[in-house]
Amino acid sequence: MIKHDIVIIGAGLAGMRAALEACENHDVAIVTKIYPTRSHSGAAQGGVAAALANLAEDDSPDFHMFDTVKGSDFLGDQDAIEIMVNDAPHVIREMEHFGCVFSRDEKGRIAQRAFGGHSKPRSCYAADRTGHALLHSLYEQILKVSKKLTIYSEYYLRDLVINDFTCNGAIIQDIKTGKIEVLNSKAVLMATGGYGRAFQITSNAFACSGDGLIAAMNNGVPLMDMEFVQFHPTGLYGQGILVSEAARGEGGYLVNGKGERFMETYASKMMELAPRDIVSRSEQTEINEGRGIDGKDFVHLDMRHLGREKILEKLPQVRQLGIDFIGVDMIDAPIPIQPTAHYSMGGIPCDVHGQVIRDKDSSPVRGLFAAGECACVSVHGANRLGTNSLLEAVVFGKRAGASLNEFALNTNRVEISDENHALERTNKLTKELREMNGKESINVVRNEMKNSMTNDCGVYRNPEKMGRCLNKIKDLQKRFKDCSLGDKGSLFNTDFFEAIELKNMLDFSEIILVGAIERKESRGGHARTDYEKRDDVNWLKHTLATKSADGEIKLDYKPVSITKHQPEERKY
Amino acid sequence: MKTVVVTIDRFDQENQRGSYQQDFTIEIPNGLTVLDCLNKIKWEQDHTLTYRMSCRSAICGSCAFRINGKSKLGCKTQADDVITNGKLRIGPIGNTDIIKDLVVDLEPFWYKLKKVKPWLFANKPKDTTKEFYQSSEGYHKIEDASTCILCACCISECNSLKVDKNYVGPAALAKAQRFIDDSRDKNFVQRTREISEPTKVWDCTHCGECSERCPTDAKPLSRIEEIRERVVNAGVHNNGGARHLLSFFKSVGSSGTLDERKIPIESVGIGNLHANLGEIMPVGLKMLSHGKAPSMIHHNVDKVGEVRKIFKKLNKL
Amino acid sequence: MKYALYTGCVAKGAGKELYTATFLVAEKLGIELVEMTDAACCGAGVIHEGNPFLADVVNARTFASAEEQGLDIMTICGTCQGVLVKTLKKLTSDDAYKKKVNAELAEIKKEFKGTVKVKGLTEIILQDYGLDKLKEKVVNPLKGVKSAPFYGCYTLRPSENSYLENPDNPDELEKLIKALGAEPVDYPERLACCGFPILMMNKKNSLTMGGNAINGAKNAGADCLVTPCPLCFLSFDSYQFEMEKYTSGNFGLPVLHTPQLIGLALGIDSKHMRMNTHITTVESLLEKTTS
Repeated sequence: MIKHDIVIIGAGLAGMRAALEACENHDVAIVTKIYPTRSHSGAAQGGVAAALANLAEDDSPDFHMFDTVKGSDFLGDQDAIEIMVNDAPHVIREMEHFGCVFSRDEKGRIAQRAFGGHSKPRSCYAADRTGHALLHSLYEQILKVSKKLTIYSEYYLRDLVINDFTCNGAIIQDIKTGKIEVLNSKAVLMATGGYGRAFQITSNAFACSGDGLIAAMNNGVPLMDMEFVQFHPTGLYGQGILVSEAARGEGGYLVNGKGERFMETYASKMMELAPRDIVSRSEQTEINEGRGIDGKDFVHLDMRHLGREKILEKLPQVRQLGIDFIGVDMIDAPIPIQPTAHYSMGGIPCDVHGQVIRDKDSSPVRGLFAAGECACVSVHGANRLGTNSLLEAVVFGKRAGASLNEFALNTNRVEISDENHALERTNKLTKELREMNGKESINVVRNEMKNSMTNDCGVYRNPEKMGRCLNKIKDLQKRFKDCSLGDKGSLFNTDFFEAIELKNMLDFSEIILVGAIERKESRGGHARTDYEKRDDVNWLKHTLATKSADGEIKLDYKPVSITKHQPEERKY
Repeated sequence: MKTVVVTIDRFDQENQRGSYQQDFTIEIPNGLTVLDCLNKIKWEQDHTLTYRMSCRSAICGSCAFRINGKSKLGCKTQADDVITNGKLRIGPIGNTDIIKDLVVDLEPFWYKLKKVKPWLFANKPKDTTKEFYQSSEGYHKIEDASTCILCACCISECNSLKVDKNYVGPAALAKAQRFIDDSRDKNFVQRTREISEPTKVWDCTHCGECSERCPTDAKPLSRIEEIRERVVNAGVHNNGGARHLLSFFKSVGSSGTLDERKIPIESVGIGNLHANLGEIMPVGLKMLSHGKAPSMIHHNVDKVGEVRKIFKKLNKL
Repeated sequence: MKYALYTGCVAKGAGKELYTATFLVAEKLGIELVEMTDAACCGAGVIHEGNPFLADVVNARTFASAEEQGLDIMTICGTCQGVLVKTLKKLTSDDAYKKKVNAELAEIKKEFKGTVKVKGLTEIILQDYGLDKLKEKVVNPLKGVKSAPFYGCYTLRPSENSYLENPDNPDELEKLIKALGAEPVDYPERLACCGFPILMMNKKNSLTMGGNAINGAKNAGADCLVTPCPLCFLSFDSYQFEMEKYTSGNFGLPVLHTPQLIGLALGIDSKHMRMNTHITTVESLLEKTTS
């Protein structure tokens, strides 16, 4: 058993920001199944929102708040959003003070650009690799204080140690050696990222398999608003690799097979810069009605009118992605794009301090905190605005770090008295996986899950498709048990961990579907063809899903915090 | 669809197989990346095949492999670009110890990165009501280095690292440039001194492999050249590299050509000459005895006045 | 064929044999050379590291000089070639920069127009002269001579500046060696660094690199190593006897400048090409080439 004051699972923006905040007074461990700089925060491209008012002098956190609330389709908790937008300018400047390499305006201030759903140009950016710039700056700060930290790189989270809704540790496994370790701590922070990997067309990294969510859920923690998955309008056709919204922020057009800028029909004011849920639905409608390019399932993102110089200065990375992955240079030709599963609005429910809660009354899970994409505070509600994800990670990562610090100062570590008990679930699953010797193939099960989720639980949903998909997932869960593990070794057995990841993905896919089938309205990222309207009378509430001992998903609901802005019709 | 034979350089210590090569035959459609090929093999043929991957969009830096002998990112490399005669070879990156198959030990890589103190020493007090101002020009000085994704492609073929495990290597040096040239950093002087120490900026042999393999704009060799420019212009001259450079300037600036008699002596340093005579004497004597010694008088190039004039105006060293 | 010969510093200093061999070979092939006696050192990348603008102005002066003569430049040093091509590219791809450089040249009444080309001797023979034509001139085919080509970093990298078709796996020197009747030898270090650039700063690392290459070539059965870069030559020839201190293995490998190997095949006397001045004796090779 290894002892630390604080254990942080995940080394992306939220995890490292929290670690930095908490390590002053405590012995902090960061656990990541990859390396910190490999975290998926680094893949965020276009920017991070903050009302610095560098470009639009009349911008303010109040505008940022309203935009975010409206963007969330009024499902965002307004107390949390208010904190986020007010903290935003400070945490972003703080990142700049940490050395983050931001692009600059002509006065030498942080450069800003327009972004979807934001009424003012408030996206602070580092060309089109903002997440990368922020992630590396934080890693540098972590290296600076590394004497106070232990980084467990390439360690996999297997389980949490939670008894009577009190968390005092985590079970992790060294990927290199296969050795399982019990970490005993005063508190654990979940910063494990999103759950987009269950989809065939996705911008997410292989690592985004929702491990943290499932570890929490297996310990009785509910998952909130899981049915809300964001489909980003501009995924590279075929795989869904992200083409930053900054492309449209800088003036890119979306064009259908008839050569029309079709956003005119759907959001005549903001056009291509409407929020993502709306743009993705518009694209999907064009495609469904036969107006894709050559009638196929993609449309064009046309950047040519921006000119070489602007593209090279502002969008060098996405230009390169187009060249490398589909052989199209956006300087010369339009890029084929399609909606791609991108962001997870749902996650582990927590309050504005990062404290994980376990029911609609916000009862805490003592010692367990969450921040970043795996958390659901909820600042994004039913649809996240572009550039608010990096912001959430930094703001709430920092806040969670402060909470951890406070908590650890006032709490003694509770020893894990029964190590065998703590390891029970982990050992059982390990044994099962190692002995798996059935006829099914992990690869086939995974592919069927991904295809099913993209086709039947995508941009537009209907009860037939979702029902079919849920049955499929349940069937795949059974078939998973009849798979075989090809690598029986202990050292760096990625086959073994991919199997666990698949199991996790099947489990959260089920929750996405159960929540989505039940939510009989259309709101943000959840669009149903049988209930096309938002229903504030019955559905202005967060979903809380728990898994009972017999494996059944139970749903409950939690009210939305509405402080300043009453729901209204969303027009852009 | 086409048939490709992928030869993989594998390593398995657990089952005492050690290093071995294995051929896999796969059918692939157009548009697959090398990483896609590996996944196809792992998921459809041999689940024990092991490698790192994550973002598959060339930003996380996990999937550096030797592809046909040279390091590249698997996810960024189109298979069609590297398959020749239906063949493709994939191995672990070089200058590292192998853990399993394509997975290498990166601990020395991370350790060396830390050696250049890659964090900002802010030169103003923290006040979160405003940011540090940095000109667009200042940003562009550090932009290229900031695109580094720490994938370690650059260390794979590095010639200096191959003969000296203590050399910090190109990635760490690129990172160092990013801070040496950051207008917000207050430790410029100390950084220029520390980066001039042995195993750092002057141990690069300028082979260009790092920049050639770099999948981003970080291009370490260019960053190394920038560091050298900064340190010699900052007056950090107490090392062989700087002395060698100054000797070049002196010689070319006065005669238009290199004075081969003086370069070795001045590089070792007049003050250190006595102690280091043994370093340069043997070859000098050999050259003399083979009739290869440079002539006693060092000749100037024709119209040397033009060269001197250029140096007089532009040389700041 | 007529070129402005940019000798580089080494061919006029510690490597006079290269200078001599170049003229002898050019004469045999009917290539006319006009030596650029006013050309300054290219800076070998070192001046560039202290002051890139200064280095570019000095090299632009060289280009302007050749333009005045109306000739393209021939280099006989891989390093000069790499440095000059890099500068030329920079100047011709950026008009504003070219103007800035020309403003300095104006002070010495010169102007870089951008018409000049810079090519290496080997490149010229391969591309402009042609190997078939070269073969016709071979009077002493180097039959059975195993020759290890060593390309040198500046010939290979950055690949975008290289004349080689595939700088990651080139075969141009091999083709040249074959045209001379010799047999190219493949060995792991053929595209590696000779170590010369850090010889003055880190002799151990430098000579270990060099020693590895010599060993690699020797173990592959080479009778000699041939290189288009006189800095690589200096490292391998002059310092070979010291490499044994840093690497164990086989030494005593004759080292040749590319034009020397060509010269042998063209029937030029080795002594005329000053091969007797090499620090590492070439006797073992000459026994093979004259038998």
